Amino acid sequence: MSDLKRLTIAGFRGAIKPFSLRFTAEKSFTVIYGENASGKSTICDALELLGRAKVGSLDNRGLGATTRYWPSIGRSLSDISVSLESLNGECLATIARTGDVFISPEPLRPRVEVFRRNQILSLIETTPAARYAAISRFVDVSGVEASEGTLRELIRDLKKQRDGAAARLNENEITIRQFWETDGSPAPDPFTWAAKEQERGTQDYEKEIEALRALHSAYTRLQDLPSRLRSAQQNATAAKSAAEQATAVVHDHLKDVQQDAGAVLGLLQAVQLYLTKHPNPAACPVCESAEKSRGLADRVTERVKSFASLQSAQAAVASSTQALERAEQQLQLIREVARQEVAKFETCRHSPALPSDLPLPAATIPNSASGLTSWLSGAAELQAEWKRAEATRHDRRQFLRTLKQSLETWQVNRGALDDLDQLLPRMEQALKIVEEERRRFTDGMLERIAGEVSRLYAAVHPGEGLDYVRLELDPKKRASLEIGANFAGQRTRPQGYFSESHLDTLGICVFLALAALDDPQNTIVVLDDVLSSVDDTHADRILKVIRSESARFRHCILTTHQNSWKDRLNAATDHFVELGKWSLTAGVS
Amino acid sequence: MQSASEELAAIIVERLARERLLSKPEARKLLRKLAEGSLTADDWRAALQRAISANPPA
Repeated sequence: MSDLKRLTIAGFRGAIKPFSLRFTAEKSFTVIYGENASGKSTICDALELLGRAKVGSLDNRGLGATTRYWPSIGRSLSDISVSLESLNGECLATIARTGDVFISPEPLRPRVEVFRRNQILSLIETTPAARYAAISRFVDVSGVEASEGTLRELIRDLKKQRDGAAARLNENEITIRQFWETDGSPAPDPFTWAAKEQERGTQDYEKEIEALRALHSAYTRLQDLPSRLRSAQQNATAAKSAAEQATAVVHDHLKDVQQDAGAVLGLLQAVQLYLTKHPNPAACPVCESAEKSRGLADRVTERVKSFASLQSAQAAVASSTQALERAEQQLQLIREVARQEVAKFETCRHSPALPSDLPLPAATIPNSASGLTSWLSGAAELQAEWKRAEATRHDRRQFLRTLKQSLETWQVNRGALDDLDQLLPRMEQALKIVEEERRRFTDGMLERIAGEVSRLYAAVHPGEGLDYVRLELDPKKRASLEIGANFAGQRTRPQGYFSESHLDTLGICVFLALAALDDPQNTIVVLDDVLSSVDDTHADRILKVIRSESARFRHCILTTHQNSWKDRLNAATDHFVELGKWSLTAGVS
Repeated sequence: MQSASEELAAIIVERLARERLLSKPEARKLLRKLAEGSLTADDWRAALQRAISANPPA
């Protein structure tokens, strides 16, 4: 049974005028006979256009873009119309000026497999790569292969990482062992010891270092104090002496002037200030007498000048008195600083953070500069002990820090190694599964195709010693397919021994086997003049095989230019169509 | 119709899940990328590690 009703072609290839091919409902095998150039290939091309939006008969002829050869003579791409009516409805192919093919409605687009004589070469006679290309859509698992390659590379990288981690771990273990030995190899083992040391930490050493630094710093500050105290004391003594001398000079001046000269000078200075503002008074501002008021300002100025040396001496007294006050304040300040520094040192000396075995000054600090000097010189040699104690603790702290770092690195590397040791075997197992399944899948598919080919081929060539076709992927080459066969019980390459006719039938068998793999019930198979080399003996058999196989497909169309094939048809099962001679006016008919 | 890669990828993830190298949800997530060839090293590693976390070795 066929669901196809009619194929209509207009403006396409040889169909200068619209041409219709009617199918017969009860026959799913159609044989189209026509002389050369009668339009058989136009029918095949039309079906291919509908199913695959291409015209394969023009491929590989050195034509470049072939769309310009699609329209009939005098027609354009937009004149092309190919439709296929079936029980489900009508599917129409049209072409835009750009060459884009539009199929409407898309769900009715038929699946079409077209096999032409020139394709036999790609299946049988050409290179392994070309043969692979012909079957690649059934066995091409390049997507999975790419993912498999990624996994393989990942495993390689992780193995390198694992080796690196193992080497680092070994180095870490050596380092920790060296630390352990440096510390006297405490029981029970290096890693238990290292973990305990890591737990203890460096806090105790930090505190001791801090206390030792504070003690040393306090001691250093004490060292400055004697000289500063002495200097301040000397300054105060000198200032006192200067002040006393200045006072004595004033007293000497006062002896030379009248009693109360100081008060007189003050009065004169006040009058002088008054006369600056009132230069020509009518009377004396003190006694209010108008007598001698004239030239009063000049006379007062003269008298004030006579007191200048006394003024100078009085200024010296004021200055030296201020200097004495400053020197005494400075002395008090330094004494206060000294008290504070001594207190700080005492605090540092009694710090509980200091190492218990640290040597310290036996005596308390005396309360005098000279006593302090002597105390400092007595304690001077202790500084070296304190520095040694601090350096020892620095070393110990650094030791613990480095040990901690080594232990942490060891733990990180141990963890990384453990993770990789868990992960890598699983990855390798996963890769093995991917490889196994890929090989099984590909081999299975090839065996399935080869089995089908063998079955079909044996039906065409029974008892000829040519059987058991094999398809083999070359494991050393990508996308490379070899065809093998048994000839007289020997494994061989069919291209080396088979006749052209045998190769043609082998090609047809391969094509039918491949077409049957992919949704055959919905596939229209078109064999375009592929049997020209088949002799009479085999013609009946191949026809029988194709007729039998056509039942598996939606429809099977065979074209031939050999008149003798008409006699081989079975009128009950085969739909026969004879094309007339093609002409420029009528086209395909 | 599935492509050959898609068909094979489905077989592979089903077996990886059966052998507990991947969890079933993880296997479903990997399927498309495995078929397309876009599965990265990180994808593989993360999926297998998650399976270890969910099903640690004895």
